[in-house]
Amino acid sequence: MPDIALQRSGLSRERRDALLGLLLIAPTVLVLGAVIVYPLLSAIALSFQSVYTPTLEGHWVGLANYRELLGSGGFWAALLTTAIWTVGTLTLQILIGVAMALLLHQNIIFRSLARSLVLFPYFLSTVVAVLVWRWLFNDLYGIVNHGLMAAGIIDAPVNWLGAMPNAMLSIMVVGAWKFFPFVVIAVLARLQTIPEALYEAARIDGAGPISRFFDVTLPQLREVLTIVILLRTVWDFKEFDLIYLMTGGGPVNGTRTLPLIVYQQAFGLNQMGMAAAYAVSMMLVMLVFMLAYLQRARKAAA
Amino acid sequence: MVQVVFEKVSKAYGDTVAIPGLDLMIESGEFVSLLGPSGCGKSTTLRMLAGLEQPTSGNIRIGDRDVVNLAPAARDIAMVFQSYALYPHMTVAENICYPLKKRGVAKADRAIKLAEVAALLQLEPLLARKPGQLSGGQQQRVALGRALVREPSVFLLDEPLSNLDASLRAHMRAELIELHRRLGKTMVYVTHDQLEAMTMSSRIAVMRAGELQQFAPPDEIYNRPANVFVAGFIGTPAMALADGSLADGGGHLVVHVGPLAVALPYAAAARPAAVTVGIRPEDVLVGEGPWQAQVRLVEPTGYETIVALDAGGLALTARVPGSKALRVGETVPFDLRRERIHLFDKSDGRRWKPAGR
Repeated sequence: MPDIALQRSGLSRERRDALLGLLLIAPTVLVLGAVIVYPLLSAIALSFQSVYTPTLEGHWVGLANYRELLGSGGFWAALLTTAIWTVGTLTLQILIGVAMALLLHQNIIFRSLARSLVLFPYFLSTVVAVLVWRWLFNDLYGIVNHGLMAAGIIDAPVNWLGAMPNAMLSIMVVGAWKFFPFVVIAVLARLQTIPEALYEAARIDGAGPISRFFDVTLPQLREVLTIVILLRTVWDFKEFDLIYLMTGGGPVNGTRTLPLIVYQQAFGLNQMGMAAAYAVSMMLVMLVFMLAYLQRARKAAA
Repeated sequence: MVQVVFEKVSKAYGDTVAIPGLDLMIESGEFVSLLGPSGCGKSTTLRMLAGLEQPTSGNIRIGDRDVVNLAPAARDIAMVFQSYALYPHMTVAENICYPLKKRGVAKADRAIKLAEVAALLQLEPLLARKPGQLSGGQQQRVALGRALVREPSVFLLDEPLSNLDASLRAHMRAELIELHRRLGKTMVYVTHDQLEAMTMSSRIAVMRAGELQQFAPPDEIYNRPANVFVAGFIGTPAMALADGSLADGGGHLVVHVGPLAVALPYAAAARPAAVTVGIRPEDVLVGEGPWQAQVRLVEPTGYETIVALDAGGLALTARVPGSKALRVGETVPFDLRRERIHLFDKSDGRRWKPAGR
């Protein structure tokens, strides 16, 4: 009898299955612990110390780093800059992304080619993209100034990257160009699942193209846009390479966002502990959006 | 009064011709079903009437207006979709009022109309709910409500019952008949379900490959099918169809089909060379008669039993009352209701009407 055999082994069937389950997830748990949990905990530990970057030697200072950070104007100014950058570039990404998705959803010629091409900015390396854009924005020989002057919109070349608020607007535009394809993919996928009958019903009910967009399309896009906005908020908030390469945080501190301060503290000023304190503070801000995202995702799955 | 007219309407998708040329006249207040197998063009016909598709050529008139160049909203029609197509983010009340809102009807008037429709369809307790919280039958009623609220002159229904389960379908069928009787409006109903078409319609348009096969009241479609296709398509279990020939049996007509020679009470004068013979299951009388057949299959349904017979190579189906104890393999005698045998000219498939009938 199998029951007797089980009793002899001293383990019930449920317990044996549970043990097997633990064994099977163990590798994943170990890898996640090594690459996520451990670095996260050491960063938090680091933020309570004063550490000299080249030697990585330091001592415990308790909350001193946080006190200095919250007391300095630099943190709050950078937080505001980060918020402006995030809201600005994300708004552009959403507007361009949704418009492009609507366009690509139509029966235009070369539709599949256009759908592939639109992904190009997203796949392009940031360094390459920034080099091209810096060239376009160059105040001496950039094509942007040349075009605007030729069209008679401006009289003299504009300093796009070396003056405010031009520099902020420029990085917002480049950010929008680089990341709008993500919005296109997500929105286009959703658009294709909206039943055609809804549009036909709306046409019979007397809704014109604009009514159909606001009464049929947009309500159907609400869920996906919420998810996209939450995800892209987190990603734009921590964007480093694009801004660092475009302006280096300048002019002065005009485009210095929090990730740039972290880099500056860690490798410019050699204060690894202070950098960790900035990074942990940033993480707390992003945690709000992360939790909102997780809640949304769970609701969508339910 | 004629309400809807199709005049030489054709529809082609690229090189594929869906409808070669359709002529159809629907009277005011009629309940007309467009019936046919998948791909017969019935939905395309309805969608052209709705304005969701443009005919390649021909005219469509509703009332005295030519509507081919009118937008769907301007055609004085309302449509109920197979998927209901309710706006998922709007409440039942908002869904029903949407067509009024888009036509600029004042809010107070909308509320009055909504109350009327809700009362008619018993939707009052559901008005604040979203479509996702409703059952299939309730969603169906909301979709009907959205169509009714505008008081259009023609209702278009595109397989509105096919997403419902069997018992609910029978119930909604009765509700639709009742609704049509009360409103007296013209309804055009697309279905592939002959039971729906037979029970609800004043006339049925049977279609096949884009061509109208027969346009007649249900009893005529059933009792005098215009051609072999209609004969085989209408009726469950299907009419038995077999090749046969006609001969002169000394003044009266004799039809030879399989091993049978059936004398018919018609004159044998002018007759086609070859015919298709159609025999409905209820016209095969099992129990006694001049012929013998072997039982191949017995399907008791309770009220009656469907029996598949083999009469020397001729396959027949019979309806036998009750659950008669027939065994497979058994040989039984049978007779035919001779005056109800259907004859179709084999050369063109059309119903052949013998002289003296």
